[in-house]
Amino acid sequence: MPLNIFVLIKQVPSCHSIEIDKSTGTIIREGVNNIINPDDLFAIELGLNLKERYNGVVTVMTMGPPQAEFALRESLAMGADNAILISDHRFAYSDTLQTTLILKEAFNFIKEYDIIICGCQTSDSSTGQVPFQLSEALEIPLITDFFTLEIENQILKCDRNFGHESQNIEVKLPVLLRTISHFNSPRFISLPRIKTAFDKEIKSFDFKTFNCPEYLDGKNKSPTLVVGIEKVNLKRKNKIIDGSINEKIQSLILLMREHGINGVNHKLIK
Amino acid sequence: MNKLEDFTDVWVFAEIKDHEKVHDCVLEILGKAREIADKLGHKLIVVLLSLDAENYIPTLKEYGADKIIYISDPNLKHYHEVIFPQLVFNLIQKHKPCIFLFPSTEVGNALAARLAYRCHTGLVSNVLNLELDCQDEKNLLISDKPAYLGNIIVKITCPKTRPQMCTISSGTFHKKKLRKSNIEIEEVEYKFDLNKIKIKIKGSPIRKDKPSATLSNAKFVIGGGHGLTSKENFDQVFQLAKYTSGQVGGTRRPIMEGWMPEHLQIGISGETIFPELYLSFGISGAIQHVVGVSKSKTIVAINKDPNAPIFKVADYCIVDDAPKILNALVKYFNV
Repeated sequence: MPLNIFVLIKQVPSCHSIEIDKSTGTIIREGVNNIINPDDLFAIELGLNLKERYNGVVTVMTMGPPQAEFALRESLAMGADNAILISDHRFAYSDTLQTTLILKEAFNFIKEYDIIICGCQTSDSSTGQVPFQLSEALEIPLITDFFTLEIENQILKCDRNFGHESQNIEVKLPVLLRTISHFNSPRFISLPRIKTAFDKEIKSFDFKTFNCPEYLDGKNKSPTLVVGIEKVNLKRKNKIIDGSINEKIQSLILLMREHGINGVNHKLIK
Repeated sequence: MNKLEDFTDVWVFAEIKDHEKVHDCVLEILGKAREIADKLGHKLIVVLLSLDAENYIPTLKEYGADKIIYISDPNLKHYHEVIFPQLVFNLIQKHKPCIFLFPSTEVGNALAARLAYRCHTGLVSNVLNLELDCQDEKNLLISDKPAYLGNIIVKITCPKTRPQMCTISSGTFHKKKLRKSNIEIEEVEYKFDLNKIKIKIKGSPIRKDKPSATLSNAKFVIGGGHGLTSKENFDQVFQLAKYTSGQVGGTRRPIMEGWMPEHLQIGISGETIFPELYLSFGISGAIQHVVGVSKSKTIVAINKDPNAPIFKVADYCIVDDAPKILNALVKYFNV
């Protein structure tokens, strides 16, 4: 039986050029590139690596608006086998708790899963809560901060850092894995795969797929509410120190002194 | 169904760091929590789970708590991903707190996320400021959290469910000593069925202390980035730190190049610093790094690229070759 590996990803706006529309107090989405959340690339890479080592099937899954399909296509081009898009206007505005509840429904629907992999956090909302909450929801263990990983007879063995211990642990599948950033080097999209990635069918899950449970309602049932949003202004006085190299060094030394920083050896001389 | 009014009191989770001491961030949070509790007319309650928990009670008493609820057991020596959430959840169900605050640490974030799921309530992570919205007697907590790699601050409330939960970043609030009279102490018996634990630990774990974070307390930090171009140049950062009693930090790149150990990373996936002076050498100023240094009192940037984004967030800018300036400084202090 091949391992059923699921990788959870999110499409996020590229965060380097975020601006706020002052009249509406919302993020300007036009003209902003959407990308796969950077942390999730490490999760995809781990999924593909496990597939190659242990004969598995990798399914990438995301929740988002219809255009999130593109992030799934990219993952298919990296080598994932299947893709699922969870999308419904009723799921819009879901916070972490609602997202977790929707993912729980999705996995209850999928039924067969051995390993679910996710990244640390998204670059847009940066809560990092979903891995822990999904572990609660599915009642399966979550392994974080691991640095070796082996699977044998449905048992996952790994070394992980936990608190201030390094532990060798064993746990029966299914499990949830949270990769750390820079854990591996995500592979590039392969050109021949791009075409097949666009030919593949993407499975869709919506409100009806889950038999319309009342409690799934991003807008009305999310416990948290955004009441304001503002751009961080990090601008400072930007005073330019000019002159010869010696003058620049002297200015630096003076600045350091003004902040109470003197050379350790200099004090002795005085 | 519980009514919102049934939930009362402000709780703070007392994380014990390396089974040695109460985490500093907890003491910082207590000051703000005291203020919030006073405005609401609530009690400030500290929740403590640990091996020899009694050892930490004297410290906690000094920071404004009205009551300390504790569980003491050898199984609580370290944070445990199944035991802690269960025991704390039992306490929440019994006492129904209105607000529950945690330090934004590995432990605090993990525990709070699990509890928020169990309580089906909202949790705001990595909070940078807390306010109480007393308009119309709503008494709602407004939490500011960074988003979009720190480019944006989002204000979040949790209007319909309780407790209102937050994890709070180190350095957000300041410790305030305050001792209440008649502090109530309640010990809760440890009860947990260890058969519920699915993760089996093989052999004995190796103690692997993470180097203690000196960066967040440092008064003077010297940062190095990709612009230093070589390990030899980056070593000069360590030299300068040695001669000036400074602390070394840096961006992601020097770690990947092997110039600097991982725990010295400053920024969104590393430490936040609060020095009097931050000198940055050859750092371009990606937002991931900048959010970690933005609380410095004075920032000086040295970079040869006049368009480097670091200059926008610096107080003093030197457009020049970073290794050259660094070398000259080291020479000056090496006497």
